[in-house]
Amino acid sequence: MHSASTRSPGRGETLLAVGAMAALAAVLVFVLAEQGRFSPAVLLAPASPTPPAGSSPAALLARWPGGLSAMGQAELFTPATLSDKIDGKAELYLSAGFLALSCQRVSLKGSTSWMEAFVYDMGRPADAFAVYSSQRRPEGRDAGLGDFSYAAGNELCLVHGRYYIELVGSDSGEAVLGSASALASSLIDSRPVTEHATVAEKALFPPGGLVADSVTLVPADVFGFDRLKNVFLARYQVGGEEVTLFLADRGSEAGAAKAAAELQAFLVTECGGTAAGQTAQPPGGAIVDLGGAFDAVFCRGRFLAGVHQAASSQGAERWASVLWGRLGGVDR
Amino acid sequence: MKPETSGPDPAPPSRREFLRRAVQAGAGVAVTAALGAWLLDRRPPGTIGRIAAVDARRSFGPKGAGPTLSIITGRARRQMLRRGLAAVGGIERFIARGDRVLIKVNAAFASPAALAATTHPDVAAELVTLCLAAGAASVIVTDNPINDPESCFELTGIGPAVRAAGGRLFVPRADSFHPGTVEGSRLIRDWPVLHSPFAGVTKLIGTAPVKHHHRAGASMTLKNWYGLLGGRRNQFHQDIDGIVSELARMVTPTFVVLDGAQSMMSNGPTGGSLADLKETRTLVVSTDPVAADAYGATLLGKTHRDLPYLAAAAALGAGTVDFESLRPVRAAAEEEG
Repeated sequence: MHSASTRSPGRGETLLAVGAMAALAAVLVFVLAEQGRFSPAVLLAPASPTPPAGSSPAALLARWPGGLSAMGQAELFTPATLSDKIDGKAELYLSAGFLALSCQRVSLKGSTSWMEAFVYDMGRPADAFAVYSSQRRPEGRDAGLGDFSYAAGNELCLVHGRYYIELVGSDSGEAVLGSASALASSLIDSRPVTEHATVAEKALFPPGGLVADSVTLVPADVFGFDRLKNVFLARYQVGGEEVTLFLADRGSEAGAAKAAAELQAFLVTECGGTAAGQTAQPPGGAIVDLGGAFDAVFCRGRFLAGVHQAASSQGAERWASVLWGRLGGVDR
Repeated sequence: MKPETSGPDPAPPSRREFLRRAVQAGAGVAVTAALGAWLLDRRPPGTIGRIAAVDARRSFGPKGAGPTLSIITGRARRQMLRRGLAAVGGIERFIARGDRVLIKVNAAFASPAALAATTHPDVAAELVTLCLAAGAASVIVTDNPINDPESCFELTGIGPAVRAAGGRLFVPRADSFHPGTVEGSRLIRDWPVLHSPFAGVTKLIGTAPVKHHHRAGASMTLKNWYGLLGGRRNQFHQDIDGIVSELARMVTPTFVVLDGAQSMMSNGPTGGSLADLKETRTLVVSTDPVAADAYGATLLGKTHRDLPYLAAAAALGAGTVDFESLRPVRAAAEEEG
């Protein structure tokens, strides 16, 4: 015999309970979904460069060179906040593997002049060289600091191992430039590195006609091709002719061949180019006519290489042959 | 037979106990409802048209016909600006006695004026001076900089120059922004927009330098409206042409001043070196920001076709890329001193 109080729930009651639980679960899902949806309206404050607590250095240096004093605290920016400091130029650094930026303004004692020091940690010397070379001012003169350096107008830029350092002065007076040099030396001394930016690829470009300091490592979107990354470019001027040579180590013969095929296809399908034959040397290299400018694309061993914007098909093949010869012996 | 349940049989609640529990449950529901009503935002984000910035938008445009574009050559920015305004009808065509003027400068970075990454203090100060001389009741200068606002206004020289000229600087705070949506827009939806400095404003002037921009190709008067956005606006860099064209639709200024006395030819928008600059010795005044920027593109060795946001802005009715169709007034500024 069973009393009413010990009976099992009926089918209707079970369904009702399941329905109630389902409704609660639906409410939970709705709340989580709403919470998960980014609403910029709740982030009304101007983008703040304030770094996470404890991660910002009080100063770039424990001790400033003579004649300099800090104008405020150092700031720290991460990949998520870099554009808060440098706006649209952040893309360049992010595409090159940017890790962190520390910066601080300093004033020159007894003067209204000041400067701001930017220390970019790019993670690898090659990436530091990439952002350095991509922005190098043609007017810059060698500053003799770090792995690579130059001074241009009011600015001093250098590569020190994994770091790319910019010192931007409020003017181009001798006092500012002298202080920038001293500050750069102090920043180098305070940041020991085990690996320096040597950029062996620079030596692979033929020296004849090479425009001084024109070798650039482009980290991404080379020639507008989003799949072409980390390519060295070098500009040449011979007589009235200007041309750009390029090369990139793709790690293996197969990788280089694949990259060459992709670039050739990009030039034809996306840039409106037409195939204009193959080179005899390099064997099997492709010439693409881009409406009066000619590109050559080839590979040798693990290297993708080529010529960009030669004035003629013959010129493209001639430069390709020279570069192909330079890659002999280092292509394995 | 297997029993269906086990355990003690609870006694049914008394009538008093039932009523007590019912009152407790009712009170709980009432308190929850009251809390919800208290927290309810009765003014949810709406369209931009509902906030003051755009209530006043219709009156920002100049009244009456007249030249819409002047291109002035010279070296001294103040003289070029005066000549440029005179060529399109004079400041009195745009600013009437009692107007409350807002000038949106580019103070994005805490960098010295010499680097031309920001509005030159001479341009900002001269605009303030001219507006006040025309009878403006007040002139406010503002921007929502990329870097910390106080440093940007001071180190660019804009702050001291504006104060010396009699203008008022508005440095944005968190509560200076209200969420809004530009009708028909895809990106500016429920987004924080600089709101407070627009209160009571009757005229809006935009002024920016000519700069290369790593992402957008160029940064001029249209890109300058980016500084009206708050929040994590850097995500808009993924669709830079889309956001600039929507900003062009959102803002209809009284006129714009594009400063190409020096143009940043490379490494923009921050620059950093004097070597990035070229003396292009040109200043543009226009009621059509699209036309002003289309001309400005030529100073960078580009055309409007290199800047897709210009055609997109024109398609949204913000102006024309064919600046020659506006019959620009070309003149040289008389140099002083």
